[in-house]
Amino acid sequence: MFLNRAEGLALALPAALFTFLVFLVPVGILLSVAFQSGGSWSLQGYVDFFAQPLNQTVFLRTLKLGILVAGTSAVIGYLAAFCIVNLPPSSRGRIFGLVVLPLMISPVARTYAWIVILGRTGIVNDVITGLGLSDTPIRLLFTETAVFIGLLQLFLPLMIISLVSSMENIPKDVVPAARVLGASWFQVFFRVILPLTKEGLVIGGTLVFTGALTAYITPAILGGSKVLMLETLLYQKVNFSNDFVSASVIAMILIVMCFSANLALKRLASAKG
Amino acid sequence: MSDRFVSLTDLTLSYGSTIAVPKLNLDITEGELIALLGPSGCGKTTSMRAIAGLLAPTSGRIEIDGADVTRTPANKRGIGLVFQSYALFPHLSAFENVAFGLRLQKLPEAQIRAKTEAGMATVGLTGFETRKPGEMSGGQQQRLALARSLVMEPKVLLLDEPLSNLDARLRLEMRNELQRVQKDTGITMVFVTHDQSEALALADRIVLMKDGQIEQLGTPAQLYAEPASAFAADFMGFENIFRTEGSDLVSDSGRLPLGYAAPEPILAWRPGGVAVGTGPHQGRVLASSFAGGHREYVLDSPLGQIKADAPIDTPEVPLGDMIAFDLPRATARPLAA
Amino acid sequence: MSRLSIWLILGATLTFLIGPFLIVIFAGLSAGEALAFPPQGLSLKWYAKVFTVESFRASFALSMFLAIFGTIAALIIGIPAAYALNRYDLPGAETIRTIVAAPIIVPGIIVGLALLRYFVVPLDVTITMALFVTHTALVLPYAVRVVSSSLNNLRADMEEAAVVLGCTRFQAFTKVVLPNIRGGILAAFILGFVTSFNEVPASLFLSGPGVRTLPIDMLSYMEITFDPSVAALSALLAFMSVAIVFAAERLLGFSRYV
Repeated sequence: MFLNRAEGLALALPAALFTFLVFLVPVGILLSVAFQSGGSWSLQGYVDFFAQPLNQTVFLRTLKLGILVAGTSAVIGYLAAFCIVNLPPSSRGRIFGLVVLPLMISPVARTYAWIVILGRTGIVNDVITGLGLSDTPIRLLFTETAVFIGLLQLFLPLMIISLVSSMENIPKDVVPAARVLGASWFQVFFRVILPLTKEGLVIGGTLVFTGALTAYITPAILGGSKVLMLETLLYQKVNFSNDFVSASVIAMILIVMCFSANLALKRLASAKG
Repeated sequence: MSDRFVSLTDLTLSYGSTIAVPKLNLDITEGELIALLGPSGCGKTTSMRAIAGLLAPTSGRIEIDGADVTRTPANKRGIGLVFQSYALFPHLSAFENVAFGLRLQKLPEAQIRAKTEAGMATVGLTGFETRKPGEMSGGQQQRLALARSLVMEPKVLLLDEPLSNLDARLRLEMRNELQRVQKDTGITMVFVTHDQSEALALADRIVLMKDGQIEQLGTPAQLYAEPASAFAADFMGFENIFRTEGSDLVSDSGRLPLGYAAPEPILAWRPGGVAVGTGPHQGRVLASSFAGGHREYVLDSPLGQIKADAPIDTPEVPLGDMIAFDLPRATARPLAA
Repeated sequence: MSRLSIWLILGATLTFLIGPFLIVIFAGLSAGEALAFPPQGLSLKWYAKVFTVESFRASFALSMFLAIFGTIAALIIGIPAAYALNRYDLPGAETIRTIVAAPIIVPGIIVGLALLRYFVVPLDVTITMALFVTHTALVLPYAVRVVSSSLNNLRADMEEAAVVLGCTRFQAFTKVVLPNIRGGILAAFILGFVTSFNEVPASLFLSGPGVRTLPIDMLSYMEITFDPSVAALSALLAFMSVAIVFAAERLLGFSRYV
């Protein structure tokens, strides 16, 4: 540790100042817009926003999808991560690579795939009409289910990665030891694996939840204007109705939700037991 | 030969607002091998970093070879430092590690080559030139770090816990190696250690430190035989240390009559100085272990636990049995409070 | 768990994660006019068409420019910051860390809108400049984090050793620190490149007619035309990203740093 503080500050300041000026200041001003009405401070922007049923629906839907995607990815994530850490080392790296791979691919491309699968002339509808289950194609795109599937596919790798890295830190013989002591697989999971991987679950959960809340591409492509989420709603408010107060409200809601998710999960992780 | 080759005057060192070393005064003789000994946090490493120039003193003066270097930056002090972790450069070969400082001096290539090869030969690493530090054993890395410092021909070579990362056998080997190098080069060496046996074996003089101050300074023989304080005695292996009152020894758990008037407020015995098998006192055997040339007992006495070594030719006393022991006047080390 | 169930679970998970993408690759190979799977006959015509669309070429060039120079700019200010945060006893280190990390936490669309309204318009900055600044800010947290973790693995006493051997502080950085964090810097560059290249929400409001990043161009193309060219382009971009990451992994074990 070097003790020359002036030198250290000089090195760190460009990055901090840059982010502060071109990032924090504009975002701060944007957030303050909703608190101003007629030149004075007020919460009128928030009251008006939540008075509209559409906005309420979108808010609740965003929250619901965030929780559902995080919860589902935790379940699948535990299964997949447990399988990955139990693979022989030779195939382990390769399989883990395949899990990470999608993260490198543009979300536009990844979401686009679901149009091919769920579209009117997509694979699923081909199968349904081919089997005679329905005469006309079913609307699968622009539904909450489509958005849910798209978000799950987009963010599941983040959950698996966090869980794998925290499972790798579990001492090797702990699970066999618990089995020998008479624990069922169910008990092994809830009494040994879950407590030992809580941190990974919390990190993964935060990443997936906040990722789902703030995703734009997936709801835009798979939900369209029928299934709006907060981000797509914000885009509409700005682009179609020039409503910057609502945009500022949504921005604040999103930031508050992300921060409280971070805080709540951190609290959960540090809680005993 | 100067006996003030390295001289610290009223040296005060602090980290932020905590003072680690208050007003340290120490003179180091040219060509000697001196050990800074003490428990962790006693300021020995801090003092060494200050001599190296890695830590600026809050106040006081550091002189090396007659020149005041208190404000001289580390890269201009001409001092060698072997780090506890060796701090070898992982991206450079062994040869380039040793040549690193010479290259900074912009010496001609032939001279760099000659000095580097000689330096590696001094520590027995000829033939390892192209290896990367990561491909060398702990002992080889230690030698490499030593060579890297030695080729700079520093006025003083500082070594931070030089043997602590080595296993027991290598440690002995490196001890001899260090002594040999010191004898061959005549370089002044200061090494930091928390291990008193290392200090006793290696050093010409030992500086025993406590709370940033010199507790005692002397030759290994002086410190071993005549520790000046309870702290020094404890560090030098006097494991039985008791207060005295009149002609009694006292501890928190009880008292034991000495049979004579105590000469000093504190008396201390090594385990080897306690007589076992005969004597006026009785102790219960709490633990007994074979130690080669002798047997080590832990006895429960009115004073609490007493550590005592018995000759190996005496029969072993079972755990729980009582055994007679004595704290003889002849082996007692009297200490001031 | 048995081997069979392990492979079944992993097979299902990977099919869900990667399968759809394989479908996109094949959908782009269609010989027909409409997007469908299985494709109506095989041809490379959509893959070829991608290169002839003028707007794709322009937006690809812009995205490349942003990804490369935005990341380089982020590294230029990010490396010293990471070094300072790791090696110096800084007053307010936590605050600096939080400020620099903030762009990751704040949703991208908000960043884009805020910059448009309170940076681009009042300061009369060009759109390209605004995108450059935004992408630099978004990549900076990754640059600082990845370089920090690679500095963390490099013991600080190595620099002290270099100084004692005669280096100035700056020489110690260039001769000892830089060569040893080269891998981390390259990893940060790749992560930054991929992040910037794929970025959509923050660039959304900052894109105007004629100045668009490639992903946004693809989104607006999709709204108008529903032919397989976007599938073909998606596949090509994915190959590019995967190739870069794969090469990086081979060369320096990229995944250690991320």
